[in-house]
Amino acid sequence: MCLVRLRDVSLGYENRPVLEHVSLELGRGEFVALLGPNGAGKTTLLRGMVGLIPVMAGAIDYEFERATDPIGYVPQRETLDPAFPLTVLEVVLMGTYARLPALRRVGARQRLLAARCLDFVGLGALAEQRFAALSGGQTQRVLIARALAAEPILIVLDEPTAGVDAEATAAIMDVLSRLNRENGLTVLLVTHQVRMLSGAASAVFWVQDGRAMRGRVEDVTAAGALLGAPDFRR
Amino acid sequence: MSTVVEVLTPGFILRDALVASVLVGIVCPLVGVYFVLRRMIFLGVALPQLSAAGIAFALLVHRAVIGPHPHGETTDAILARLGATTFTLGGILLLALLERRGREFVEARIGMAYAIAGALTILFLAADPWGEAHIVNLLKGELLAATEKSLVFLAAVLGAVVVVLLAFQKEFLLVSFDHDLAVVFGKRTTVWDALLYVLCGLTISFGVLAAGPLVTFGFLLAPPLTARLLTRRMLTFSIVSAAIGGVTAFVGFCVAFRYDMPLGPAEVAVSAAVLLLISAADWLRRTLAPSPA
Repeated sequence: MCLVRLRDVSLGYENRPVLEHVSLELGRGEFVALLGPNGAGKTTLLRGMVGLIPVMAGAIDYEFERATDPIGYVPQRETLDPAFPLTVLEVVLMGTYARLPALRRVGARQRLLAARCLDFVGLGALAEQRFAALSGGQTQRVLIARALAAEPILIVLDEPTAGVDAEATAAIMDVLSRLNRENGLTVLLVTHQVRMLSGAASAVFWVQDGRAMRGRVEDVTAAGALLGAPDFRR
Repeated sequence: MSTVVEVLTPGFILRDALVASVLVGIVCPLVGVYFVLRRMIFLGVALPQLSAAGIAFALLVHRAVIGPHPHGETTDAILARLGATTFTLGGILLLALLERRGREFVEARIGMAYAIAGALTILFLAADPWGEAHIVNLLKGELLAATEKSLVFLAAVLGAVVVVLLAFQKEFLLVSFDHDLAVVFGKRTTVWDALLYVLCGLTISFGVLAAGPLVTFGFLLAPPLTARLLTRRMLTFSIVSAAIGGVTAFVGFCVAFRYDMPLGPAEVAVSAAVLLLISAADWLRRTLAPSPA
């Protein structure tokens, strides 16, 4: 069952398209990795799919109500300013803002939800730590917890394992796999690390030369990771 | 100590000036925390200067259209408020609009806004020699000339700013910390950004009218910079910033009163001294702290 459908979509910046004529479907409950060479437009596609950049042509259909079913979003962690004096719990609580209208304050329900999300990613003990003092891997898991606090049916992640060590990468992938398998959450992530996808991802969106296409994880790994475009046609 | 007792006496002759000082000291840091966190510190310099240019412009227009403006009259104060608010809000909204179109030259734009505002202030003053002396006093900030009426107006505006800041704290935090997430959540980021800028503009324009550009800029930045070293939560950061602003404004007032010093600079000097002291203590604490094994 389709959750997000792109129909002949063009995306780009300042009227210059980066991707053109993209038609893809993201199914409900899928775990899909966005792959492709550096600068191919993976992040552009992801940002377009969550509404961070306008669609230049074509259309994106969401088979859910964006206003009542927020998307869980995990940005690249470098985009967040460490100057903000925030505890880990305060950052996770921001996820609950998705369903809180203006003038409604964070209450006991939101605090409990945020604490549970932190526990899910294994960082419940760090709730009162300074967010800026966390390691790269911990930061990513906190941002996943924040995305979960929005109670989404789709979570999108922009390079969640970039710049973190192998152990932290495994922990992040374990969290995402559990979310997908046990909770039925649809996962879409941008990554460069193809090996970690085995057993987790069910499909890939390959982005290259201004185009994007859907394929199997096995096709990419068999083609030698990101060294060349895999042949999805065979 | 006797100075503090005298200043706190109910019939103290400069009571209105004291209350105005503490009000500006408390409210400016509350919007200043967003200037610091959103890295818009230069805006804290440019906007008070724009506010000053607005005051000079309003009085010049009054002179050109209606005639000379005797200092201290009601129209004088209304014109000054109108000019300061229009220029500050216009400036901050224009800069915000330009920022949305591209962040590449943000600092250059703010720097140019400061230079243009400074030049315009002087040009407007030069074109209005009749009121120049009065306007210069107004631009320096007339804390000592605060009246009960002006104080009530200042308290009403700054009080409203505080209420709105508290009511929409989570929205302002979200758009400031993670603008993209706010967009993904479907929040009206343009509305929240604009509202925050309006609150900043109002605080700055009324702060400048009450205390002058120097004091307003000082209290926008020094208390939040100090509080950042003492707190690790957003709410306590705002509360401690306001508390530091209020206390340093009060202490600065007492120092100026005791030693017959200019009020505004004394308050800024006390605020800066507290920042230096806390920074030194923080540096010492970090230096002496055992390094992790």
